[in-house]
Amino acid sequence: MKTIVKMIVVLTAISLLSGGLLSSLDSYTAPRIAENRMKQLKAAIAEVLPKYDYYDEFKTKTSVIYVGKLNGVEEPVGLAFKTAGNGFQGKIVMMVGVKPDFSEVIKMRVLEQVETPGLGTKIVVDPSNKENPLWFPEQFEGLILNPAIEVIKNLKPEKDNQIQAIAGATISSQAIANILNEQIAEVKRAYEAR
Amino acid sequence: MARKKNKLTYEFLKGIWDENPVLISLLGLCPALAVTNSATNGLAMSLATGFVLLCSSILISLIRKIIPSQVRIAGFIVIIATFVTIADRYLAAFFPAISKDLGPFVPLIVVNCLILGRQEAFSSKNNIGRSMLDSLGMTTGFLFVLVILGAIRELLGSGTVFGLEIMGDWFNPWMVMILPPGAFFTLGILIGIVNLINNKRA
Amino acid sequence: MELALIFISAAIVNNFVLSYFLGICPFVGVSKKISSAVSMGMAVMFVMTITAIVSWLLFHLILVPFKVEILQYVSFILVIASLVQLVEMFIRKISKPLYDTLGIYLPLITTNCAILGLALFAVLKEYSFVESVVFGVGAGAGFTLALVIMAGIREELELANVPKVFQGAGITMIVAGCLALAFMGFAGIT
Repeated sequence: MKTIVKMIVVLTAISLLSGGLLSSLDSYTAPRIAENRMKQLKAAIAEVLPKYDYYDEFKTKTSVIYVGKLNGVEEPVGLAFKTAGNGFQGKIVMMVGVKPDFSEVIKMRVLEQVETPGLGTKIVVDPSNKENPLWFPEQFEGLILNPAIEVIKNLKPEKDNQIQAIAGATISSQAIANILNEQIAEVKRAYEAR
Repeated sequence: MARKKNKLTYEFLKGIWDENPVLISLLGLCPALAVTNSATNGLAMSLATGFVLLCSSILISLIRKIIPSQVRIAGFIVIIATFVTIADRYLAAFFPAISKDLGPFVPLIVVNCLILGRQEAFSSKNNIGRSMLDSLGMTTGFLFVLVILGAIRELLGSGTVFGLEIMGDWFNPWMVMILPPGAFFTLGILIGIVNLINNKRA
Repeated sequence: MELALIFISAAIVNNFVLSYFLGICPFVGVSKKISSAVSMGMAVMFVMTITAIVSWLLFHLILVPFKVEILQYVSFILVIASLVQLVEMFIRKISKPLYDTLGIYLPLITTNCAILGLALFAVLKEYSFVESVVFGVGAGAGFTLALVIMAGIREELELANVPKVFQGAGITMIVAGCLALAFMGFAGIT
C-alpha cells in the first residue's frame, strides 16, 4: 500500500512540475515564436509586391490574400498569397504576387520545398549558373497569366506566358507552373466574387 | 592505461572514445544520420541533446533515492520530454533558422536511446557529480561524431564547412553526400575506421 | 486516390527508415534474421497504426481545444510507452514463443524514433483522421519492408567475407546506403 501511494505521489509531483514548467515556458516563448512567423510572412509579402504602405487581409475559404495598398490610394498595388502543391519529392509552398487584375505575375518566391538537391532546388537558386543564379524565379516577373503559364523545355521561351524548364528537373518546373495556374485561378474567382 | 587511474576524469573521458555513444554503443543513430547534412546542424543538434541529457541527469540523480523502481521509466520519460520541449521552444523562439533546419528531430531527442540509456544505466545510480561528468563526456563524444559527420558531408556535398566556402569553383559537389545514402556510407566508414584503430590497439 | 498515394508515399517513396532516418536502432539490431525482422516489423506496424489513431484523437480532441499543444511531446511519448506495455502483455498472452523471439526489442519499440516520428509527422502534415491511419499503416509497412530486405541481405552476408572492421554495424550502414540509393529511384511517383 505504501509503495503504491509513493508511486502515485512521485508521478503526480513530476507531472505537476512538468506541467507548471511548460506552461510558463509557453507564455515566455509563444509571443516570440508568433513574432518570428509574422516577420517571415511580412518579408515574403514584401518580396513579391511593389512598394506598399500597408496591407489588408482578405480571407477566402482556402487562403488569405494580402492586398497591398499605398496610403490614400484606393486601388491596391498588388495581391499576394500563398500557393502550395505537390512537387517532385514533396510539398512546394510559394508566395506569389499578382497585379490586382490578375493579368500578370509581379514576382514569385519559393518558401518551402524538398526537391532534389542540386536539381529541383534550382527553383530557388541555381549556383551552377554563375551569371544569374536566380534565373528561374526571375522568369516569373511580369509573366502573363492569360493564357495559362506554359513550360518550355530546352528552348528559350518566345511568348510572354512561357517559362523555361530547369534541365534535369522538368517535373519540379512543371509542378510550379501547375500549382500557380490552378491556384491563381481559384484565388481570382474568390476575390472577384467578393 | 593512464586514464583509468584517475576514476573521476575517466567518467568524463569514456564518453569520448571507449564508450562513444554513436560509434561504439550505436545509440542516437537517427539524429546522427538525419541532421548531419551540415556541420552547423550537427553542432546545434548535439548541443540541444547535451542540454537535455545534462539537465535530466542532474534532476534524475537528485531524485534517484525517492523515485520508486516501478515508475522510474515513466518518470524519466516525462522529465526528458519536458526538457526536450524547453529546448525545442527555445530554439523556435530565438534561433528560428536552426529550428527549421533541425525540424522534427529536436522533439525526437525524447526517444534518443542515448538519453534514456544514460539515465537508466548511470544517473539513477550515481551521485550528481558523477552523473554530470558522465553526461558531459557522452555529450562531447556525441558532439565530435555529429560535427565530424556533418563537416564531411557538408564539405563533399556542398563544398563548405560551417557555411564557409572551402572547395573552390573547380569542385563539383557530390550531391549524394547530403542525401540519405551519403549519410549511411559516411557513418559506416567512420565505424569501420574506429574499429580498425581499436583492433590495432588491442 | 489520395489515400493510396499517402500509403505508397509513406511505405516506399518517403520510406521512414531509408529517407527519414527513423527507426535506425532496431533496423541495425533486429535485421539479422528474416524471421525476427518480420515479427518486429509486424509489431511496429501494429503499434504505429494504433499510435496514429490515439495521438490524432489526443491532439485534436484534448490538446488543441484546451490550448495545451506545448504538452504534445510529453503526452505523445507517455501514450506510446503505455501502448507498447499493452502490446507486450497482449503478445505474451497470445504467443509466448513470439514474445521470446522479440525479447528486449519489444519494450525498445517505445524508444523507436519511428513511432514518435509518425505521431509528430501526422500532426505536422495536418492529416485528417483517416489520412493519419493510412499514414500509420503505410509507414509501418515501409519499416517492415526495409527491415526484411536488410535481413535478407545480411543473411547472405553471413556467408561472405566481410572485412573484420566492417562486420556488424559498419557493413549494415553501407548496405543501408545502397538500399537508400535504390529507394531514391521511387521519387516522383506522386
